[in-house]
Amino acid sequence: MQTFLQGAVGGLLIGGTYALIALGLNIVFGTMRVINFAQGTLLMAGMFLVYWLWVLTGLHPYLSPLVTVPLLFGFGYVIQKALVAPLFARERAREPMSVLLLTLGLALALENLALLFFAADFKTVQTDLAMRTFKVGGIIVSVPRLIGLLTAGISGAALYLFFTRTDLGRAVRATGQDREAARLMGIDDFRVYNVAFGLSAGLMGIAAAILVPFYYVHPAVGTSFILKAFVIVVLGGMGSMPGAALGGLIVGVIEGVVGLYVQAAAAQIVLFGLFVVILFVRPAGLLGVERR
Amino acid sequence: MSPSVKIRNSKFEIRNRDAGPLSRPEQVIAWILGGLVVVAVALVPVATRWVLVDDNYWIQVLIWILFFAYLSAAWNLIGGFAGQYSIGHAGLLGIGAYTSSLLSINAGLSPWLGMAVGGLVAAAVGGLIGYPCFRLRGAFFSLVSIAFAEMLRVGTELTDTVFGIEVNGVRGLLLPVLGHNPAAFQFVDKRYYYSVMLGLLLLVLAVGWGVKRSRLGYYLAAIRDDEEAVASLGINPARAKLLAMLLSGFFTAIGGTFYAQFILFITPTRTMSLDFSVQMVIMAVLGGMGTVLGPVYGAVILVPIAEVTRAVWGGSLQGVHLIVYGALLMAVILYCPQGIEGWIRRGFLGSVRWLAVRIGPAPAVLAEAAAHTSSMLLPEGGLLPARLAPGNGQPLLVLRKLSRRFGGAIGVRDLTLEVKAGEVVGLIGPNGAGKTTVFNLITGVLTPDAGEIRFAGSDLTRLRPDTINRMGVARTFQIVRPFVQLTARENVMVALLPRVGRVAEARKEAERYLAFVGLSHRADVLADGLSTGERKRLELARALATRPRLLLLDEVTGGVDQRSLPGLVALIHQIRKEGVTLLLIEHNLRVVTTVADRLVMLHLGEKILEGTPEAVVGDPQVVEIYVGGPGALR
Repeated sequence: MQTFLQGAVGGLLIGGTYALIALGLNIVFGTMRVINFAQGTLLMAGMFLVYWLWVLTGLHPYLSPLVTVPLLFGFGYVIQKALVAPLFARERAREPMSVLLLTLGLALALENLALLFFAADFKTVQTDLAMRTFKVGGIIVSVPRLIGLLTAGISGAALYLFFTRTDLGRAVRATGQDREAARLMGIDDFRVYNVAFGLSAGLMGIAAAILVPFYYVHPAVGTSFILKAFVIVVLGGMGSMPGAALGGLIVGVIEGVVGLYVQAAAAQIVLFGLFVVILFVRPAGLLGVERR
Repeated sequence: MSPSVKIRNSKFEIRNRDAGPLSRPEQVIAWILGGLVVVAVALVPVATRWVLVDDNYWIQVLIWILFFAYLSAAWNLIGGFAGQYSIGHAGLLGIGAYTSSLLSINAGLSPWLGMAVGGLVAAAVGGLIGYPCFRLRGAFFSLVSIAFAEMLRVGTELTDTVFGIEVNGVRGLLLPVLGHNPAAFQFVDKRYYYSVMLGLLLLVLAVGWGVKRSRLGYYLAAIRDDEEAVASLGINPARAKLLAMLLSGFFTAIGGTFYAQFILFITPTRTMSLDFSVQMVIMAVLGGMGTVLGPVYGAVILVPIAEVTRAVWGGSLQGVHLIVYGALLMAVILYCPQGIEGWIRRGFLGSVRWLAVRIGPAPAVLAEAAAHTSSMLLPEGGLLPARLAPGNGQPLLVLRKLSRRFGGAIGVRDLTLEVKAGEVVGLIGPNGAGKTTVFNLITGVLTPDAGEIRFAGSDLTRLRPDTINRMGVARTFQIVRPFVQLTARENVMVALLPRVGRVAEARKEAERYLAFVGLSHRADVLADGLSTGERKRLELARALATRPRLLLLDEVTGGVDQRSLPGLVALIHQIRKEGVTLLLIEHNLRVVTTVADRLVMLHLGEKILEGTPEAVVGDPQVVEIYVGGPGALR
């Protein structure tokens, strides 16, 4: 039981971060029906920003979102406006599948540029919190991971409020549900897309801030997280924000529990089994809405 | 016709003539030229031996070009032909590499046989992963494919033994070196690998060529354009995509076996890497997705780039070529989404024609071809077979208490409606009345929450759209949905193929339907280049080609200019004469009153009135709903 709880808690703690990254994917997918393959690249960029801010100015990673979130928001905004929007304008009638290929190219180019400039070293940021843990009922809890989970939770809640309580948030959701209708209601769909892309990129600034204190920084780090996020999105439901949260936590807990009990490979096999079952039973994902 | 339209048409005609069929002598020249290229490529290993002292490096580079061309061509079967972008094909490659290697290490099975086993396993796994995705659309399959490959990679990396079989996790498998041993798929001289790879490439290209010209190829091309329209023509899109996936998975895995035998060392990190998946995609995109030879051109350009950067920067900077790949991929998607195949093909055909003018008697043949097209016949003895002559007066379509909600909004409520065989019924009502919803319910695009749909005695409720079409219900769409990347003729062929089967026969029969709707002169124009009125006619031809007993027309006159109206109305009368029962949504009351025997008025999802056109149009309630006050209609 102790082992189980330890595994579950460990999984939950990292699952929050997974969820945050999957949330970034789903904001874009839910609004624009496209997959941003460069999501992991944005996370990687965020993590390098956090790292260099810490090295050059001594800014604590937990304060870095003040700088990185606006920067990444701007970056995402520009990517959508300059690169993605032209594809939407061209393939107006369809889901522009080519966006996936475009962002794939972007991810490939940026990641390997990072490799060129920053080399394939594993960089870490040593903060006073990094190794700190505490025990609750015999279960070890890592402080930076706990902060990560809490921050992810707060960010998720803030996003929820944004999407349900603000005009811009409602405009984003409306555009996601029916672009034509939203446009007829006077919503500037392309501006909404810019915002959605920016938001999803800005969110990676937060994910980067909570990851850096306990995770290495490396040009390929984004890819490893984004691949996991794809699994989460399929499990939780494409475009569903609660689905991203649930999926992230499930994947975290499975990795934690099965990994601790049996071995890491077994966790992958369990995950794969669950994945296939979901695919056949509920192809839209646990909390996804089936669209034809 | 306005001048601007003429200019546009002429552009398409020029393009069309360039892409048109070759005359017989031109074909011969094209085959000879193509054959010379293949022979030259096959003889490269012999040639390099004369020219270079140590040619191993060059042979190796050439093998990689062939290898990536092969993989990309295998990916293209599902990614390009069907437009389903898999980004997890490295997983299938890994399955092939691991299956044949494990079988050869543990059971002593020759990799030549293991290759086939791996292909079958990968096809099965690919089908298993693809099947649930193919019922959904677009991006979902891409995500699932990535997730699948990723889990397979991580799972293999973390697995040391399975049931006592050494998989060796992240360290990978080292195949025993057997020297020159053709039976065990091992050679010392790389030239043998070159020949094997070239053979495999030619095989997969032949398969691609065959698929493209087959029934499946037409289905896939149409699916790439508009899946829902494909289903409305009695074709099961999921099945077509699944077939393409099986083929693609099979050949990708065979590439994996080749890789394992060539390197003799496989690791999950390398063989199942995202890099492999992505490179297959990029080469096909650059070359031209959905074309037979595109992947080859992509590989010919991109593999040398990787080699050059590797030669210049050595092992220290490994990702340089991937920066170029990524940037190229973005540039191609943004500025040249069709890839470069079109340019190369036009260049090739241009030189073939140039040669033909110098060598052969082309003009006479061309004149003969022209004479052939102008002698096309109008359909004789009716368009539709006698089996469809309906028992007039019997109820053909019966909707009983049909309801469908969209969240809180009512689409259709408690709708009961009967259409008799041979009848023409008009469905009218303001926007949002639920007319198109009724069509979507009948054709299976939507499923009703309650109620029943019976057609010719059988229950349609909950059947798939393609099944419903095969039972004899066809439709057109409110916003026309031709397959824009196919010609008018090919559009009709897609609709004919489920019934006719053979492509050549469908090509011939398509002419009758095009003639029927008056589009014979536009048969070989891309649907993209047709005017709105022509597109409507094309959609009619396409729907009729499925030989429906009941045809649902969704605003066939919508968006058509006044002068084209009488022609369309005459066409509707003609369709009726062919024995087709019609249910039509129509906003133009003048049209609907002349065409329909009976009108049904919907308002807010409910039937509020039914009767003869005169009675319904004259009804004060109808006038009230349509124009907001009495007496304003005329």
